[in-house]
Amino acid sequence: MLLDLRGVSKKFGGLRAIHDVSFGVAKGRIFGLIGPNGAGKTTLFNVVSGVVSPDAGEARFEGADLGAMKPAEIAAIGIARTFQNVRLFSELTVVENLLVASELGRKTRTMAALLRTRAHHAEEESLRKNALEMLRVFELEKLAEAKATSLAYGNQRRLEIARAMMLRPKLLLLDEPAAGMNTKEGEELTTQIRWLRDTFDLTVMLVEHNMRVVMASCEEVHVLDHGETIAHGTPAEIRNDARVIASYLGTSAEA
Amino acid sequence: MKSARGLLVALAIALLADFTLDRVIPDSSVRQLAMLACCNMVVALSLNVINGMAGQFSIGHAGFLALGAYVAAIVASHVHLALGGGDVTFARSLIVVPASLALAALVAGAFGFLVGLPSLRLRGDYLAIVTLGFAEIVRLVIATARAGDQTWLAKLGGQTGYAGAEDAGIPLYAGPFWIIGITVLAIVVAWRLKMSGWGRSIRALREDEIAAAAVGVDPTRAKVTAFVVSAAGGGIAGGMLAIMRDGTPIVQPDSFGFQATFDAVTMVILGGSGSVSGAVVGSLIITLSVKAIELLQATDAVQALKASYESLDLNALRMMIYAALLVTLMILRPDGIFGEREIRLFSRAKRDRADSTRA
Repeated sequence: MLLDLRGVSKKFGGLRAIHDVSFGVAKGRIFGLIGPNGAGKTTLFNVVSGVVSPDAGEARFEGADLGAMKPAEIAAIGIARTFQNVRLFSELTVVENLLVASELGRKTRTMAALLRTRAHHAEEESLRKNALEMLRVFELEKLAEAKATSLAYGNQRRLEIARAMMLRPKLLLLDEPAAGMNTKEGEELTTQIRWLRDTFDLTVMLVEHNMRVVMASCEEVHVLDHGETIAHGTPAEIRNDARVIASYLGTSAEA
Repeated sequence: MKSARGLLVALAIALLADFTLDRVIPDSSVRQLAMLACCNMVVALSLNVINGMAGQFSIGHAGFLALGAYVAAIVASHVHLALGGGDVTFARSLIVVPASLALAALVAGAFGFLVGLPSLRLRGDYLAIVTLGFAEIVRLVIATARAGDQTWLAKLGGQTGYAGAEDAGIPLYAGPFWIIGITVLAIVVAWRLKMSGWGRSIRALREDEIAAAAVGVDPTRAKVTAFVVSAAGGGIAGGMLAIMRDGTPIVQPDSFGFQATFDAVTMVILGGSGSVSGAVVGSLIITLSVKAIELLQATDAVQALKASYESLDLNALRMMIYAALLVTLMILRPDGIFGEREIRLFSRAKRDRADSTRA
């Protein structure tokens, strides 16, 4: 297992955000995490990305204990994420947003930037080239010099994924990537997630409310309700699980 | 190496200025103003690192200026004595100025580290209060030390100020060569820092700390470094003010009160937070406006007015003009004159950018 969660629990005051959650995400998988609002999905993401540390249990990524690590360290070992409410560096340009995420790979030091050495110029150029290539993947290259805040919502979401991809992650966490998207955009997103996985040798874990996207893109789904696991399986299994239908999918969700 | 050639040219001009400025500008008060403008640029550039780029609201910059000024004054005085006293020569300044300013930067930087630590937990108003408290502590510790005591602190002269070892006056070693040279260097360093990976990282941190951490920026490290860099720069600026030729041979705690911080913050906000060009222009405007208001106050009309209204406080006039200027600017351009943008003097930067976008 690339990512292994064992008995992970987290309380906020008296609220049990997640309780005794265990599952593993195999390498190369597109893994869905679903559940009604307040089920603890984002908290789980925050545990994996180091924003909060678990009260009990452990989260391991390639054997490393994530609970003991800071977000920046977790980013460095290959976990990248996006956020439910897009978090961009608004006043920075689109390409700068990506460049910030390439700093971990920088070899020259700040002193080289002050002296503007040849090595610094060469590295800046190659970092910028990589960033522009990534922008092209997400069809944002024309907006490279625009301020991030000036982008349309859909582009902002794509920029956030592009930025996460600059870390060359092994595991990509997507927090509601389809939020605010229409059916067509959702379908494009599904294709894109699969394409990213295949092209960049990724493992993807996503939290999503859009069942169409989850069912179409995920190979394995884990269902949370009130912080606890209620089901785990393939999309087909989940779709027919009585507890899932009762607590979440309901009658309105088309299967 | 285009930049190396540029640096040499700047050096030559600064060197020339050191020997000829007295003749080019015979009025010492004008010379003083020009040098002061340079020092203030360094003040604004250094404050811009923490307030503009890192987005931490510090209102304690005067504390770092004070530390730098006193350290530089003490070092300059003692090195001067050790060299046998006598005349202030250019040859000697080659030893005295680097030594005083390096130590000023070191001490201020160390305090920047200490003040930077709370910035990890505090933000906004709370951090502002901590930095303000720090600056006031520095000022008051110096001001209230009793002159009669034999402690090292008392030797700083308390409220009256420090006038060099044995009260001989601070040797004013930093001529135009140093002041202009260091200012040019400071602009180059500030610019390159902003454009560096580190600069991008702290600007990203300012925009969104959680997202910055998620892409590998260590917030603790970045913020503390920003504080240290800003404080060290403030130390150098304070040192420049203390040992500047045509300046006063005494440093006093009252020069580093809240007014000094307020001026520095105004320079940065006026020019545009985060903009290096803005810091340069903002500091120029503030320095010149202070002088302009002084001149205005000396005019017959204002003097006549003061004669008829005894309660008229001339200093209040300056504050009123300042306030009006700021309010107008904040209405017209809430992000300052430049926002975070820059004036690019060298077309190479533009061409680089265009090339890389096309590539």
